[in-house]
Amino acid sequence: MKTAHEIRPGNVIMLDGSPWVVLKTETTRSGRNAAIVKLKLKSVLLDSTTETTFKGEDKLDDIILERLDCTYSYFADPMYVFMDAEYNQYDVEAENLGDAAAYIVDGMEDICQVTFYEEKAISVELPITVSREVTYTEPSARGDTSGKVMKPATIAGGSTLSVADFVKTGDMIEIDTRTNEFKKRV
Amino acid sequence: MTHCALKAVKTTTQWDIFCCVVDNYGDIGVTWRLAKQLTNEYQINITLWVDDLNSFSHILPPLDPSLNSQKHDGVRINLWSEPLPVNYNAADVVIEAFACNLPNAVVQAMHAQHAAHKEDTSASKAPVWLNLEYLSAEAWVEGCHGLPSMQNNGLKKHFYFPGFTRNTGGLICEKDTLDQRNVWQSNSDCRRQLFSKLGLKNIDDNDTVISVFSYETSALLRLCQLWMQSDNRIHALIPKGRSLNSLQSLLPCAINDLNVGQQVVHGNLTIHILPMTDQQGYDQLLWSCDVNIVRGEDSFLRAQWAGKPFIWHIYPQEDDYHLVKLAAFMDSYCDNLSPQASKIYRSLNIAFNKEQADTAVQEWQNLDLIQPEMSLHAQQWPIYILNDADLASRLVQFVKNS
Repeated sequence: MKTAHEIRPGNVIMLDGSPWVVLKTETTRSGRNAAIVKLKLKSVLLDSTTETTFKGEDKLDDIILERLDCTYSYFADPMYVFMDAEYNQYDVEAENLGDAAAYIVDGMEDICQVTFYEEKAISVELPITVSREVTYTEPSARGDTSGKVMKPATIAGGSTLSVADFVKTGDMIEIDTRTNEFKKRV
Repeated sequence: MTHCALKAVKTTTQWDIFCCVVDNYGDIGVTWRLAKQLTNEYQINITLWVDDLNSFSHILPPLDPSLNSQKHDGVRINLWSEPLPVNYNAADVVIEAFACNLPNAVVQAMHAQHAAHKEDTSASKAPVWLNLEYLSAEAWVEGCHGLPSMQNNGLKKHFYFPGFTRNTGGLICEKDTLDQRNVWQSNSDCRRQLFSKLGLKNIDDNDTVISVFSYETSALLRLCQLWMQSDNRIHALIPKGRSLNSLQSLLPCAINDLNVGQQVVHGNLTIHILPMTDQQGYDQLLWSCDVNIVRGEDSFLRAQWAGKPFIWHIYPQEDDYHLVKLAAFMDSYCDNLSPQASKIYRSLNIAFNKEQADTAVQEWQNLDLIQPEMSLHAQQWPIYILNDADLASRLVQFVKNS
């Protein structure tokens, strides 16, 4: 069991007897510090998606399915192709990657975990931290070095996030894939 | 004010509301108002389960904390203890207020009903289970309001978020609140009589009267020091409680030794120690004051219905997250104000919350520059944010649709 707060894109959870792939997680804060977790889910058995909400401390039944360490190989629309250490290839539907798709870039060497359900690859979980190149960000406006002033930046793959003001175009940065937040400049 | 034209829910409908008292008046204040409104306006049988009847009795003086079950204003009030003091039968609607964890007996009763209905569809369905959340003006609320929360036992709970926009659960406001307020504020005798009833003496009609119900903040002390030097007389009406912790240096004795009705005079400022009142009395107090300093959720909302300028001392959260919530409300509240009024009002509220005492004093003085605009805005705001439907009417509709 995991708390809703610990659930990540790529996890598979059992709800009311059915397995669901977690595509997206969004944590917000309610009153008195309580967390609220909104999940976008895709049914493993049916071709349907749904959104649901939990208290941060709610216990969810994350099911342990077969997992393999793989690296990203290439994209063959609409499938992302991953490869294990023995060069076996596994196709994962683009939709099933959810938020993780933002960090999939050609040439990436991150070890990802591909999850299988009845021998079919159904989801991919990224490492907690990935490093990506900043492809564009405005120059520092205030010369801030504290890391508290943030500005938007685009990273390899095209997604955007807030980074510290001192980060420059071309820098490599570390990102927490659980929260999609900037961690530090590499 | 207009409300959704909803037919009353059939009188046999039974709703249970569970409330865990956290800070004496906030959670119970909100749930008690909701319970009364659902009873009065929709003829729903409400049972309000409360884990701290002593705190509840501060805002409902006739309540007897020694009783496990009693009825007030048409609402059944039960003590929520573990195990429950009375046998529990699942209601038609079960509301857990502010994400409190329901007693096992309640969840089991709901699950048993759910299982029975699966076996035999002629049996009653599982109750509609709602988590009534805290009020926030943040944008994400629209995306989470009404979403289901699928439970491992097959039950489905929905998150119900109050809010300031059409796509949220609305705001608690009884049908006649604004009309009653208008009548009250059009007759200055009402204010005089209330002050007399509360034991507040020596308040002239032209004096400035400020109600104070805040948490601790050094900004309050600095404002009081400013008010002492004011050209006109200012009265700060403060109940015994957390606000006074910030004003100890102005008091003649320990807070516990202060008496209700006692006056403490410093220059042109008179601090009056207020008695606790019931909710109707507190509404009338807010309607009668020139400015209200409020906190948390219930008094924050009632200050808005009062149609008077107010400062909101928001419940402090870890990592200063409350400032995000404060900023979200300020974005909404100041949207139609002039740039000058918006800047001053935001800055005053932020300074009060961040204990930036000098800035709070500066911006308080600047309020004079925007007073007519702020007064007009305070009057118009309630109509604008109710969006034709208050929380109770939207809640009843939500249950009907579930």
